[in-house]
Amino acid sequence: MSSIFLAVEGLCVRYGPVLAVDQVGFRVDQGEHVTLLGPSGCGKTTTLRAIAGLETPSGGRILIEGETVADAASGRNMPPERRGLAMVFQSYAIWPHMTVFDNVGFSFRARGIGREKARAAVERALALVDLAGFADRPATRLSGGQQQRVALARAIACDSKMILFDEPLSNLDAQLRVSMRAELNDLRRRLGFTAVYVTHDQEEAFALSDRIIVMRAGRIDQQGTPAEVYRAPRSRFVASFLGMTNILPAEIAASDGSGPAEARLAGELVLRALDPWRDGAASSTGAVGFRPIDVRLDTAPSGAGIAGIVTRSLYLGDVAHYYIHSGPISICVHDRPHARLVEGQTVRWHVAPENCLILRE
Amino acid sequence: MALPSASIESIKHRIGARTIPLSKESVGIAALCGFVSLLVLAPMMAVVMGALREGGGLGVGPFLTVFNSVAIITNTLLVGTGTTVLAVLAGGALALILARINTPGRELLSRLVTLPLYVTPLLTAIAWAWLGSPRGGLINLFARDVFGIPSLVNLQTPGGVIFVSALAYVPLPFLLIGAALKNMDPALEESARVHGASPWGALRRVTLPLVLPAALGSALLVFVQAMGLFSVPAVLGMPGGFNVAGTQIYRLLNNYPPRVSEAAAWGVLLLATTAVLVTLQSVILGRRSFVTVTGKAFRPRVLHLGPVRHLLAAGAWTYIVAAVVLPVATLLWAALVNFITVDPALMRFDLRHFRYVLFEYPKTYLAFENSVLLGAASATSVCLLGLCVSWVIVRTRSALRRYLDHVSMFPLAMPSMVLALGLLWTYVSLKQVPIYGTIWILLLAYVTHFLPIGVRAGSAALRQLHSELEDAARMTGANWTKTLRWIVLPLTRPTLIATWMLLFILAMQEVSSSILLYTSRSTVLAVAVFDLWEAGNVNALAALSVLQLAVTFIALLLLLRTRSQEALA
Repeated sequence: MSSIFLAVEGLCVRYGPVLAVDQVGFRVDQGEHVTLLGPSGCGKTTTLRAIAGLETPSGGRILIEGETVADAASGRNMPPERRGLAMVFQSYAIWPHMTVFDNVGFSFRARGIGREKARAAVERALALVDLAGFADRPATRLSGGQQQRVALARAIACDSKMILFDEPLSNLDAQLRVSMRAELNDLRRRLGFTAVYVTHDQEEAFALSDRIIVMRAGRIDQQGTPAEVYRAPRSRFVASFLGMTNILPAEIAASDGSGPAEARLAGELVLRALDPWRDGAASSTGAVGFRPIDVRLDTAPSGAGIAGIVTRSLYLGDVAHYYIHSGPISICVHDRPHARLVEGQTVRWHVAPENCLILRE
Repeated sequence: MALPSASIESIKHRIGARTIPLSKESVGIAALCGFVSLLVLAPMMAVVMGALREGGGLGVGPFLTVFNSVAIITNTLLVGTGTTVLAVLAGGALALILARINTPGRELLSRLVTLPLYVTPLLTAIAWAWLGSPRGGLINLFARDVFGIPSLVNLQTPGGVIFVSALAYVPLPFLLIGAALKNMDPALEESARVHGASPWGALRRVTLPLVLPAALGSALLVFVQAMGLFSVPAVLGMPGGFNVAGTQIYRLLNNYPPRVSEAAAWGVLLLATTAVLVTLQSVILGRRSFVTVTGKAFRPRVLHLGPVRHLLAAGAWTYIVAAVVLPVATLLWAALVNFITVDPALMRFDLRHFRYVLFEYPKTYLAFENSVLLGAASATSVCLLGLCVSWVIVRTRSALRRYLDHVSMFPLAMPSMVLALGLLWTYVSLKQVPIYGTIWILLLAYVTHFLPIGVRAGSAALRQLHSELEDAARMTGANWTKTLRWIVLPLTRPTLIATWMLLFILAMQEVSSSILLYTSRSTVLAVAVFDLWEAGNVNALAALSVLQLAVTFIALLLLLRTRSQEALA
């Protein structure tokens, strides 16, 4: 089943003195949805644009279905229109001087296929994105959500095997974003195209992807399935980017390799944590990370766990955020807001070892 | 510019595999750079080389002659400085009055104040010469007949040259300072008010310093043009023996034998002055980049004044009357009246002068044909070249784009007389390209001179066009020619049409370079007007210039109908 559709090997893109993409390599299987996830400026969009042919690589190769489309060493860089891909842009890039029909049917015009022959394909694409009947509407008379659908229809109408998505949902409001996410998922299941998707929104990445590639400063930090990346972030950067905001420096005790490791925090505090990235048996300095949602609180004076004082208490509706000081360390806790804690109150907290992670990088 | 393939291979080999090899795009960009450099730099170098020629060899003789003409240097500086100060003060004041104060009729006034851009300074100067010459001037005749005052005004003086030149150049600072005032985030002033500044205090402490770069920029632009000005000093200065660099260049070339090296030395002096000033400006403003223009449309705060606002409106109207209404009315009257007189009893009105210039004056038809042809050809070339250059500047990451950006703006700092001198030097000696004495050399002069306008307009249009609109076309299967034809051209068309009309109007009126480059076969309208002026055939001159103005105003009406004026500002 897994035949490689896209291969990116040692890709570098240089803008003057800045290396925007630095030795990036990954593969995408036929029909797979791979997401490049990272903060702005991490090189994810540049990588996508290099795959599209809109940027010239200064190093490395890109292969689509086994054919080299870009190779910095030989100077080959196939123009975008000949790579047979489709792309959905962040700004939607709907041409304002054309109708919806002309926008969606553009690929046929570019190939010299007449309007009438294109009609069936355009109407099918519009129906797929719930815009049947919009064909003759001027593109300027569309809402943001409708423009997004036209952009999607345009990408589908080309019948490309791979569609590139450059933060396509980031300009929509929160509600629309969630519903478009679901629709996008359905559409891909039905049509079976391969997708490379760029976003900075982890929720979007988790909801849509078969595989996630986390990027930082032009390099890949970690790749894996959403569950793998979520459960076991490899570095402090990936951990904090994926919401593991409690990262505490720790001395990691040597362990026998079975069961959780012991992490000694400042102030003689000890947490037991999983250590999936262990590199040796020797003790070392690193950090221990856990998510605010995984912290259990106990207000009973004789309860188990580490004692701390609530220094700030914020009520956010669904959830309450507490900042708790335990001696030299400070953590953030998200909890159901039923029994709201007040500032100055003493509590005990603990985190189950399976929710705690040793971070060495 | 095509490099032989062998040398491309060797370049590839030398720079190694790690850098980007030469693509079709980079070869195209290099070719464009070469072409623009040739257009802009060749005349400049020719002027410098020409100025160093003495007898059969090299020498500094021409420069010594120039530096001995202290009077002309002083006069040129006087006209340059006086015109700049007057034009920037008046233009800045008008911008403030019309953009930020509740002056009555400011919408209409803002449009009218830019009109002098479309009336060549030559015509304004001629009209004011008739109005204000010491003995025969209409104002003086009127004053003598009605009030018995022997001589009221004399515009054939340095003051007159400065006054009329300033009238012609006020729209430049008005537009630039006005744009800076309009694009300023009103929150900057509001926060000054909130923190305790009075309305005038906010204006003085916040607004004016922020507008300073625009004011300095427009001052430089006016100064460069005023220093190299020919038409106004030729009409109002030369008769009284008042000469500046522009008229001196003209006289040296019309001398027999022509003293071309000396003329070129004057050109070098003008070039050197502007080079120093441009450098000075970038040093002064270099580190102070005021990002107040965010691309958002702001509704500027308007200062509400009492009855004073009517006085301010009257001031703006006075400018429009002096710069447009009075000159045009004078020309129209002179074209229709049998001869110039202030005695109503002697005035007869008919179309005889129009009949003369249309059917008897031999140069009219040829000049019209050449002017229209040159106007259309240069407007088209500048639009296309401007779009290409601005595309490289705005859309590519080519290492050459900064160079292209700079070089394409050079002509702004090059008085058109100097440009014409350079072309003269280049193509008189370059026999392989036999364009000297044809209208092609004029076309080359116009294209070079107006290139900055084309590049600015193209950049403005492309910056408004999100680059993803082009990327989307490429991703949907269109190659770059189709992308250009189906996406870029249709979406930039309003700006391109407006720019084309503006360039056509400006080219129709060009005097300073045409006067050095024309021959009897390649004469143009503005030159024909100047010929009639020198011949003293005033009524025919008036009729011809009315015809020229008519063509201009028809083009202007078409321009206003395309309603893309904002792209030009």
